[in-house]
Amino acid sequence: MHRREFLQSMCYGGLATFALPSVAFAQVSGPGRFVFVLLRGGFDGLAAVVPAGDPSYRSVRDGFAYDASALAMLDDTFGLAPGLAPLRAFWDQGQLALAHAMAIPHRTRSHFDGQAVLESGLDKPLGSSDGWLNRLLQVMSGTRAGIAIAAGMPLSLTGAYDVQSWSPTQLGVVDDAFRDRLAALYRADAVLHNRFEAAIAQQELVGEEPMARGRARRDGAVALMTAAARILKPEGGPNVAAMELSGWDTHANQGLAGGALDRLLGQLAEGLVAFRTEMGAAWDSTTLVVMTEFGRTARPNGTRGTDHGTAGAGFVLGPRLARSSIVADWPGLAANALYEGRDLKPTLDTRAVLKSAVAGAFDLTAAQLDRIFPNSATARVLPGLMA
Amino acid sequence: MDAALRALNRFGLGARVGEARRLSDPRGWLRAQLRGDAPSVTPPAGADPETVGDAVRGLRQLGQGDEAERRQARRRLQEIAGAELRHAVTERVTSDRPFVERLVAFWSNHLCVSIGGKVLVAPLAGGYERDVIRPHVLGRFEDMVLASARHPAMLAYLDNFQSIGPASAAATLGQRAGRLRATPEQAAPRRGLNENYARELLELHTLGVDGGYTQQDVQELARMLTGWTIDGIPGPGARAAAGSRPRGRGGRQGGGPRAQAAAPDGPLRFVFREALHEPGAKTLLGTRYGEDGEDEAVRAIKTLCAHPSTARFVARKLVTHFVSDDPPQAAVDRVAQTFRTSGGNLKTVADVLIDLPEAWQDDRRKFRAPQDWLVAVLRALGTTDVRENVGPLLRQLRQPLWSPAAPKGYGDTLQEWADPDSLLNRGELARTIARIPGLRDLDPRSLLEVVDLPANAPLAAMLADSTIARDERLALALAGPAFQWR
Repeated sequence: MHRREFLQSMCYGGLATFALPSVAFAQVSGPGRFVFVLLRGGFDGLAAVVPAGDPSYRSVRDGFAYDASALAMLDDTFGLAPGLAPLRAFWDQGQLALAHAMAIPHRTRSHFDGQAVLESGLDKPLGSSDGWLNRLLQVMSGTRAGIAIAAGMPLSLTGAYDVQSWSPTQLGVVDDAFRDRLAALYRADAVLHNRFEAAIAQQELVGEEPMARGRARRDGAVALMTAAARILKPEGGPNVAAMELSGWDTHANQGLAGGALDRLLGQLAEGLVAFRTEMGAAWDSTTLVVMTEFGRTARPNGTRGTDHGTAGAGFVLGPRLARSSIVADWPGLAANALYEGRDLKPTLDTRAVLKSAVAGAFDLTAAQLDRIFPNSATARVLPGLMA
Repeated sequence: MDAALRALNRFGLGARVGEARRLSDPRGWLRAQLRGDAPSVTPPAGADPETVGDAVRGLRQLGQGDEAERRQARRRLQEIAGAELRHAVTERVTSDRPFVERLVAFWSNHLCVSIGGKVLVAPLAGGYERDVIRPHVLGRFEDMVLASARHPAMLAYLDNFQSIGPASAAATLGQRAGRLRATPEQAAPRRGLNENYARELLELHTLGVDGGYTQQDVQELARMLTGWTIDGIPGPGARAAAGSRPRGRGGRQGGGPRAQAAAPDGPLRFVFREALHEPGAKTLLGTRYGEDGEDEAVRAIKTLCAHPSTARFVARKLVTHFVSDDPPQAAVDRVAQTFRTSGGNLKTVADVLIDLPEAWQDDRRKFRAPQDWLVAVLRALGTTDVRENVGPLLRQLRQPLWSPAAPKGYGDTLQEWADPDSLLNRGELARTIARIPGLRDLDPRSLLEVVDLPANAPLAAMLADSTIARDERLALALAGPAFQWR
């Protein structure tokens, strides 16, 4: 019976995937690391990567507009919101691309459908699909492992390829004595013992301080991103990760500098800086993409917030970028340029950015990209984005 | 393998202390549970259909208005969902027909709705399980699927309630109205066919993804389903139908409209609106369906349920759940055969599951999915008091009730649930639960009775070790490997 279970677990890929991350994944080819950060709720690209130089900006965002002097201007048109100022360091080092007027390929203002499209990597919401990050793991070659750093398994990583997960829990931390006794019990189970050992290894990797486990939610992005870096940086650690941050559905009182949205942006930027710091030398091979399911209305609503819109902004960070750039075929904010008279018009497909970023991170062929993103012929890899 | 424990844990929802000892005829115990109808349940306080209808309208009538009011209206819907959820888990924890409750959970997941994505679904999911799944869980598959197709929760979840036939009376009327408006911006957003439900009905509820249908079939089925919508909320359907005669032949589950929909009130109900229905004949899986209103989709659903692909697809899923992550083909064939010859009689199918020798084999263990694990924990501890925190606890375990990320529902294999983090999560949670004050009289050693322990497993010695705190020993039993299997 034990032998049979042992073989069974081999078939599941259990031993391969769930063995100690730092031991089992001795890297041969040294693939890069790729992190997909989903901002759930539809974050306001126009309040993050602010088109302060657009002639219509002040009138469209009436009573709700930044002065260019309050922003970290990157060119004549775009500036980073005050909360995102820490990202200036990435920009100056050629490690930040800002995609704008970007949207998923399917027109929807539903969080549900929008996230389904973004995470499945398809061109319309099909509930039964697997996630594009999981398909990435299925098609790429060499040693690889995926991990969800999230409270649940995000759709993006769901699928046939066995992935790990780590989440900051709100429960108390298990004390060592209990954990050791539990480990002794698990050692007697041929199928589960490797998985339990891997769990302990992962916990030790993250460490007691900042010990995001139990505190990450309250401390926000910094603790979470630090914990993520500790999991991802060891040689042979997981090299595809999905993360998520929520709170971006700013229907009311989103504010300007120091307001609710800007504080969230600040946490995000500080989290990204903390991530890079914690990654140390491993940052050199890391690419990180930040995206959301849709942008928000160009005009503010009646409650000093914005409603669900269409195109928005996203980021690509990392040394594998060719240079810092703004990736946008900017449609402008003039009334007749808005999508359905209300939203920033989409001129860039999220999949074009995602394809480019993963291709740059892992040297994928066009055929592999097509399997990860079916029906994406119109979303071409962007020349010159990645080195 | 202990047959009594296999019956209690694999087919039931987890052994209680003392139960295995009393079970002299495990298969007979399971069969007895299938006699009679499935136990019916009443809605929890504050979740009667009228209240739910009012709560849903309360939110929808606010439109994009005041954010504080919207938040409050959303909170009401979540409160109803919370009460329903606690009610449903209590049923599973306290039931004396746990095999039937497992079947309810299985079919509820097979035809799942999810409260994760759409706020409209949140207050309806409990009623969906109660009124769609439960009454048919020992009845006929096609009745369950038809009830599901007509329930507001499913109509909302997979968007059929807003699907409009492109050549329907409502659509042609809307286009004329649109041309009269001054600018394109002022025109109402164009609505039309939504094929979401039709696709999942084929792919996930009946034939299966390889069941032999095409994109053309999806569209044709979607056309047949136009007009199947929700009565009781303002929406494109209700407006378009004003002036046309709603035709309801809903039958028991449908509860067709008794009067013209004016200002909507009362419970949310299924209605067939002719004005939204796509006229003309349709062709599904090579069969032509002449124009026949609501009956087109009724006939189509019955045909799909009786299709051999459906029997194979459903059988494979059942055998995966009750036998093994790697379902033996002989068992799948036998269940499929029973499904077909019985005309989708789910009681007969449940009976044959008990008879499968593979389900009782020593080496075919099934890993407990999180909901299974938590319910089994509460049953093992003899708790009947399911607290409000059961929702957050299930979320913590990554399997909140009625909240799968996709219409495919939750999986139930080792690969999906036995990730390292989850094992540790269960350890943490067991530690917390074992500290509940009401458990002071429970002898940790008694939990040896609820797990099928291999010889020489270290658990027995640990549970007898009085140098370890009593609550910690309880937690070790619940978080240890033996308890993770069913």
